[in-house]
Amino acid sequence: MTSSSPDVLSMARVCKTFPGVLALDNANLTIRAGEIHGLVGENGAGKSTIIKVLAGVYVRDSGDVLVDGVGFDYVTPAKVHAAGIRFIHQELNLVPHFTVAETVFMGQELQGPLGVRSTTMRRAAEQFLEEALNARISGRALVRDLGLADRKLVQIARGLVDDKAKIVVFDEPTAPLASAEIEQLFAAIGRLKQRGIAMIYVSHYLGEITSICDRVTVFRNGRDVGVVDGVGPKDAPRIINMMIGREISDLYPAKNHRAGQPLLKLDKFGDGRHFRGVDLEVKRGEIVGVAGLLGSGREELVEAIYGLGRATEGRVQFDGKPARISSPSKAVDCGIVLVPRDRRNDGLVLDMTVADNVNLASFEEVTTALIVNRRAAAARAAALAARLDIRPRNVDAVTRYLSGGNQQKVVLARWLATGSRLFVLDEPTVGVDIGARAEIYRLIEKLAADGAGVLLSSSDAAELLGLCDRVVVLLRGEVTADVATSTLSLDRLIALTTGGETEKKDRR
Amino acid sequence: MTDASVAPRAVRTGGLLKSAASLAPLAIFLALLLYLGVAAPSFLAPGTIALILKQAVPNVVVCLGLATVVIAGGDDVISGGIDLSIPAIAVLAAAIVAQLTTIKGAPIAFALAAGMGAALIAGLVNAFLVVVVGMTPLLATLASSSAYVGLASYVTSSRRIEVGDPFIVYLRDGSVGGAPAGVIAVFVLVLIFYFAVHRTRWGLNLQAVGGSRDAAEIAGLFASKFIAQSFVLAAIAGGVDSVFLLARGSGYAPGSEENLLLEMILATFLGAAFSPRRIVTLWGAVLGAVLVAALSIGFGSAGVDIFWTGCIKGGLILIVVASSAVSRNLNR
Repeated sequence: MTSSSPDVLSMARVCKTFPGVLALDNANLTIRAGEIHGLVGENGAGKSTIIKVLAGVYVRDSGDVLVDGVGFDYVTPAKVHAAGIRFIHQELNLVPHFTVAETVFMGQELQGPLGVRSTTMRRAAEQFLEEALNARISGRALVRDLGLADRKLVQIARGLVDDKAKIVVFDEPTAPLASAEIEQLFAAIGRLKQRGIAMIYVSHYLGEITSICDRVTVFRNGRDVGVVDGVGPKDAPRIINMMIGREISDLYPAKNHRAGQPLLKLDKFGDGRHFRGVDLEVKRGEIVGVAGLLGSGREELVEAIYGLGRATEGRVQFDGKPARISSPSKAVDCGIVLVPRDRRNDGLVLDMTVADNVNLASFEEVTTALIVNRRAAAARAAALAARLDIRPRNVDAVTRYLSGGNQQKVVLARWLATGSRLFVLDEPTVGVDIGARAEIYRLIEKLAADGAGVLLSSSDAAELLGLCDRVVVLLRGEVTADVATSTLSLDRLIALTTGGETEKKDRR
Repeated sequence: MTDASVAPRAVRTGGLLKSAASLAPLAIFLALLLYLGVAAPSFLAPGTIALILKQAVPNVVVCLGLATVVIAGGDDVISGGIDLSIPAIAVLAAAIVAQLTTIKGAPIAFALAAGMGAALIAGLVNAFLVVVVGMTPLLATLASSSAYVGLASYVTSSRRIEVGDPFIVYLRDGSVGGAPAGVIAVFVLVLIFYFAVHRTRWGLNLQAVGGSRDAAEIAGLFASKFIAQSFVLAAIAGGVDSVFLLARGSGYAPGSEENLLLEMILATFLGAAFSPRRIVTLWGAVLGAVLVAALSIGFGSAGVDIFWTGCIKGGLILIVVASSAVSRNLNR
């Protein structure tokens, strides 16, 4: 791209506040004709907010939006569509039993006096897919019979088939795809560029951003912190620096735990779909982190370890013996517990008291002849609440009204009460304020120091570095790195997670 | 309906099992019919086909309505589109027509208009409950159904009312070029519904909404509008069905909605097995209705106890619905 290309889109000094949060703070985004423009930033940096302002989903508080030099006072989805801006969402959102032609023309079917013109639509869909997206897909094929890459192309064709698109916004388009399929998608994106369509490419995958984008805008804390021209793979470290721009705080406790005997050992573990060939080991008294972007298979791996998902490949050893963990109740029997990501729905009965939630997994210990001894139960819960500093200290409080951090402590207290040996923590600090966060970190450290194994799955790179002994990185369902945190820096971990750097597995 | 997570490999390995699951009800059905053919030789007599078609007429019409609602609402057995009140609406309209013509002596055109008007209001009520109030269709139409039946009993004081109006009699006994008039009329109705749901832009959009509400809304379609329209259309089918019910029963008979409801659900979901895509379609529902009527006639000629018939049909519904649930789980 020459820098003389005119701007097709210019968003200047855009502000947007949500109650208590300044989501966009004088943010700027400028797109030139025919370029592929990357948009990167950490979660909460403002990328999706500015895209939603452009889409007309959010109304901006102030700032200018100009398309082809024409100002938009009030952005609505219909106006944006008429101006030739199209959005390719991360989710495929297709009807599985529709044909390709029906899908491509959904909402804009061609109709004659004898009903819809099926043949015309089928030919037009096939022609468009081939010419604009370099894909040979039959218009008669059913969506559910297509591979994921073809489905993605069909989804793109649906947005572009009217040939009026000028700017296409891709949101994590490769998230569900395997590497070979990504090449196919990139070929299609190359074709679109030849047709003179400008593209905004929103992604966490820095490897992809640096290989296909012409320019990149980096967002941090609700504003653009820099634009990189003429992007290439060498720019990844620079972009990461712009994205983070902060130091790890002293939120994290000193490491007092010491690794002992192996506790959990996965050998070529896989579910045939989301993750494959995963080797992973957690020892007693060790904290092992799992890093990976959304769609990397991280969530599914964690659920499979706990028996929530179906693992079909590989072997599991627990405490030196082969184990088959086919359901969560078997996991609990083994002494494995999961502190789920969505604690409000999966981890807690919100309308029960703190005491009941704490005792939920171990009522038998406070039960005499089928009757729960309320006083013993309350005393036990109160002791745990004091130990974990759950506030309010009143264990008869209804759990719903506790803060996120304190709710998380209730979940942890429940499992402490059972004397479990392996703790699987899935995003334990999402939505938890900074004070409670330090408290939870202290608790995790204590679990390990007391001899339990901890597997910590998190999207927060700083958290993984601060707490773990080792971090296992998942990228597209495969372990791409298994590194001791003592030799790992924050930007290198982010580079590994985002595919900005791949490295040989260095097993210990 | 999560298409994003379905890897192609999973689709292929589950393929065989899936077609087995979705075709099982059809196989059981054909086996039953075959058995009836052997057990009751009169079932194979030439006149039986005409008898089956005549018997099927009222069922076909309600099936058109239910299929439309399922297509627009999705075929999830619990949260998807379903309208249990169509038979009740048909019975309510039939009660109004019978009461007005036979008891009050009103002209047939006026009586039909009143019946249709009541059906239309019932459809609007259903659409309101589902789309505006946000009730699940299953619960909303179960409740409204019992209200409509109650209304029909109130209108007729729960009596049987003979209807001797020439129009109704013609639908029962008349013939067009050798074919029963009622069957011809329903055939035309099927063609109209087929054109609307499967051949028009509106119909494709309706299918898109049922297939994936998110996909439809991203494509710029206002899903609630289509869902509301499907309920109104189903109620209209119910209203139209009143004349065929009156023709088949030579008048209004209280309680006829129960069997109609059973056969409507059985036929519509059985019909999915006929579709190459294994989804509820209008043609499938119509064929299903004819098969179910054949079964009823077959039971009659084999002398099967009427109570057994209900039991067998209920069992078949369970098999049909279970098979659709199993297919869905395999699809996941």
